[in-house]
Amino acid sequence: MRATAWEHYGSAPMVRMNTLVYATCFADAASSSELSLAYVKLIEQLAVFKGYSAAFCALKLAEEKFPSSTNSQIHLLKMQLLHERALHRGHLRIAQQIGDEFGVLSSSVSGVDIELKTEASLRRARTLLAAKQFSQAAAVANSLFTTCYKYNMQVENASVLLLLAEIHRKSDNAVLGLTYALASQSFCKSFNLDLLEASATLTLAELWLALGSNHAKRALSLVYQSLPMILGHGGLELRARSQIVLAKCHLTDPEFSVSEDPCAVLDPLNQAAEDLQVLEYHEMAAEVYYLKAMTYNHLGKEYEREEAAARFKEHVTALENPRDEEDSLVY
Amino acid sequence: MAEEQMEEAASSSAAASGTPFQLQFDKPIPFQIKLAEWNPEKDLLAMVTDDSKVLLHRFNWQRLWTISPGKCITSICWSPDGKIVALGTEDGFVLLHDVENGKMLRSIKSHDVAIVCLNWAEDEPLSRTDKEDLLSYEDRTTRFFPPAPVMPRIGGLNSGDTGLADENEEAIQAFSSASCQRFNILCTGDKDGCICFSIFGIFPIGKININKVPIHVQSSGKRTSYRLQDVSISKVSLSRNLHQLVLLCSGKLINTDNLSLSNDLSVGVHCLHLDTSIFSNRKNELHQVSQQASSIQDLVEVVRASISMMSKQWSNAMNLFHEKFSALPSLLTAHGMESSSEDEFMSLLFGTHTSPALHQFLVSSLGEAGLKRIAKTIESAGRELRIVVSEHLQPAVEIISFRLAELRGLARWRSRFQNIGLDEKLMDGVTERVGMLVVQVERFSRVAATVLYLFQNFFSWVLKCVKILLSEPTDQVPSTNSELVVIFLKFLLDKDPIKQLVETDQIFEWDIDTAKHVEHLVVFGGFTDTKFLERSLAKQFSELEESLKEAFLMPFTTVSSQIHCQGLLPLYPVTSSDALSSTSTPASIAFYKEDKDSQHNASSYSSTDYICFKIPDGSLNLRNFVAVIKDLCNSCSTSSTPSLSGFLLHIPVEYECVDLSLYKDNQVVLLLSGKSSSESAGRSWMVMLQTENLSFSQLSRTFPANYYNLQELEVLELQLDTDYGKVRSIPHPLSTPLAVSASRGVACVFSSRRHALVYILDEDEDEDEDEGSEME
Repeated sequence: MRATAWEHYGSAPMVRMNTLVYATCFADAASSSELSLAYVKLIEQLAVFKGYSAAFCALKLAEEKFPSSTNSQIHLLKMQLLHERALHRGHLRIAQQIGDEFGVLSSSVSGVDIELKTEASLRRARTLLAAKQFSQAAAVANSLFTTCYKYNMQVENASVLLLLAEIHRKSDNAVLGLTYALASQSFCKSFNLDLLEASATLTLAELWLALGSNHAKRALSLVYQSLPMILGHGGLELRARSQIVLAKCHLTDPEFSVSEDPCAVLDPLNQAAEDLQVLEYHEMAAEVYYLKAMTYNHLGKEYEREEAAARFKEHVTALENPRDEEDSLVY
Repeated sequence: MAEEQMEEAASSSAAASGTPFQLQFDKPIPFQIKLAEWNPEKDLLAMVTDDSKVLLHRFNWQRLWTISPGKCITSICWSPDGKIVALGTEDGFVLLHDVENGKMLRSIKSHDVAIVCLNWAEDEPLSRTDKEDLLSYEDRTTRFFPPAPVMPRIGGLNSGDTGLADENEEAIQAFSSASCQRFNILCTGDKDGCICFSIFGIFPIGKININKVPIHVQSSGKRTSYRLQDVSISKVSLSRNLHQLVLLCSGKLINTDNLSLSNDLSVGVHCLHLDTSIFSNRKNELHQVSQQASSIQDLVEVVRASISMMSKQWSNAMNLFHEKFSALPSLLTAHGMESSSEDEFMSLLFGTHTSPALHQFLVSSLGEAGLKRIAKTIESAGRELRIVVSEHLQPAVEIISFRLAELRGLARWRSRFQNIGLDEKLMDGVTERVGMLVVQVERFSRVAATVLYLFQNFFSWVLKCVKILLSEPTDQVPSTNSELVVIFLKFLLDKDPIKQLVETDQIFEWDIDTAKHVEHLVVFGGFTDTKFLERSLAKQFSELEESLKEAFLMPFTTVSSQIHCQGLLPLYPVTSSDALSSTSTPASIAFYKEDKDSQHNASSYSSTDYICFKIPDGSLNLRNFVAVIKDLCNSCSTSSTPSLSGFLLHIPVEYECVDLSLYKDNQVVLLLSGKSSSESAGRSWMVMLQTENLSFSQLSRTFPANYYNLQELEVLELQLDTDYGKVRSIPHPLSTPLAVSASRGVACVFSSRRHALVYILDEDEDEDEDEGSEME
């Protein structure tokens, strides 16, 4: 299907459109597995662009439509979505659990599905990363990279490299991360994986930023480079991330003064906050509100500062003690 | 004759103390030339004759092509890269022609009245020094898609036209790919005071009406606002960093605060300075948007042509079919039968009986040959349809949707793109529409395939019947499916779903199952407009067009609203009687790079505008004067240092200024022709003055006590043996136009005796080389 190709090349509206064409025009002619694949794609899109509640709502309908329990694609999708949401909400135990389930699925009786296996370990690495167990995450990612390399899975290769860069960034090892990010970027370039490339560029910018404030200008230009791509085709999370980085670039730039151009910082932050609200991504939302509070502090707007600080606290507490853990598995 | 004149020229050059400007040649031309312009990149001269033919000559006077666009041409200019020549016509069209072969690439109607002046300015790469602001933006479309589809050709009979159209399309393709290299803007000014801006000459980005632009003038601390009425623009010039626009126009200046103040004197020629910094500040964004948008517009044209062609092809085929088969009902009534043709075919199919009417119809009026012919026509029409869909319509729609998706991404970047008017909501709407169109195209191709198959099946069945009726062997005929024949008789004999789809106002019926399905898909992120399948393909397309128009109008209006008037300088009054002729008085505007002192603004260079014009005799009580003014723009922006300055040049009484032009390095080239009454009739002079050697005097900007204060300027007497610059005599009475090319260093003058003379301005005649270099 063309939609998958577009997903890799990075044009989200094209994915949606092609899938819709398929779902509308060939509804009567296509086999149920193909049709369900189309629906899966649509739901994925929903999750990325409209948040989880919409996606789960659609998922329910899809399950009604394709009741056969053999339908592994929808089942897989469900697990993917649950995993993502758990990660975002900070329910690490559940994420762990789902990751294990993935592992089981991948090495089932019928033989080892290599694609599933890579996905399982990818998710495991991400869970570990979220749990701040960096060395283990890096180990998993490294072994994953060798597997991908062995089986010539270019897309996965690039994303694993990106993940490694991310791991190093979070473990405050920006210099090491840079090499991975650069490798990932060049990988994507050679395979025309534009969206992935844009996110690699974004990570690169984050890494530069982590290296100190004198690299802010360079980071800013990198963000500018990737921004059209990300805003056009990236999901909510990526978009929010790019906005945060943009704001951070401005804030760390010693030549930039907040009081002169508060909009340059506040606009992207507001946008990011909006997107993250839909996504229920507590960690990043907390970051956004923190930055917002800082900015307002600079501007001397006390009331707004307090408000942002309160929101920040809200998200942090939500992240630290997941209250509604039990409802994470239901939807 | 020519030799004799050459001799004369030579002798006169010997007589003169020095002969600057090397004469390249002196050629008679069979036309009266109205306009002439040198190509900025190559040694090519484009000329417009009095009867609006366009000629392109090489430097060695070899003619490349001649075209006659059939419209009265009122202005001409070259694109900055020299690949396109733009012509402005009397009825407000801008025609873009290819330099290679003179073929018309585009014709854009942007004005309602005659386009008087054109100026095509390109952004200078040097003007951008700050690197980090540079957005590397790449058009991804070419990486993912094969070359964009072109308009479908209409095959068959009218091949005479298509040959031309085909080459034209190739040219358009080359044009759209070539023109997007560097950012440039074409401005066009018309007789009614409107100025249009279009990026790459094709994507309209702004339009302002000088009649409606408020002009604020700061004079002695007081702010007065003026307005110009009955404006007719005579000259526009956009600076090379696209930052400012200077224009000359005639009109009546009105004080909007105090209407009673205006008098007769306020009608005159004015010089306006407009702030177009939106173009330079938002250059990258405009470039990206216009690049995407203009190619989308191209593709929309392709889709339109495809749809109309499909409709034509199919209706031709169907007309033949209906013509033949309409004989059947009339035969039935002639036989006194009340059944419909559908019933008759049904009974034939089920073997009950063959009515005499049907028998007669099939055997005699239709016949085997006739049947085969119809079958063939429909089949070939169907094949054409399929080709058009797969090679033109479908890829075009797909690329449109891709490009729109890119634009939508840009629109989301609010901080950058909102202020050039790229609206996210509108773009979302358009993306939605194009998605529906893609679905429609897919559906259309399915419907078409089904219909064609049914037709094929039906025809072979009828053929079989005819053979049986004639008791001929039927083993040659392919077997048929009688179920499909029934479907055909039920749904296709009287109806035409293909026609329904390609014609605008048909409502297409769609079964409930699909409707439900579509509604269901909304939950999954499908199109919220669930009724879209009821629309026909053509209707969907026109809706897309509408929303596209709306979306692209936003940048247009937003940018237009950000062009402001920065300053005004009344030049000279004209009495209303010669207001018309005032547009034809020679004038020239140019921007020069000024090397500012390092302490001033070290990093950026600034460009200074020079305005040079002839003051019509009698105006300002001056006779035979030419004025040169510089620094209007800077004087408007920084009021602290009034730098506006200029001088008047008095031309010897026995000569009159025919035309003038500004030339590189702050020079002015004047063409002086002897007045017919004086002894110097028939002789002319070309004078090049170095303005730096001339003393500029400051011009105060006081309003409104004295509108026209040009008299304040210092007057310089121009002597032909002056050492201000270079002078060369030309043994012809001269006429307009003077075509000077700064980048090529050449000038072409036209004599009223239909001669063209080309001079190389930078080189002097060989024998006088020493003296010439001395003068430089």
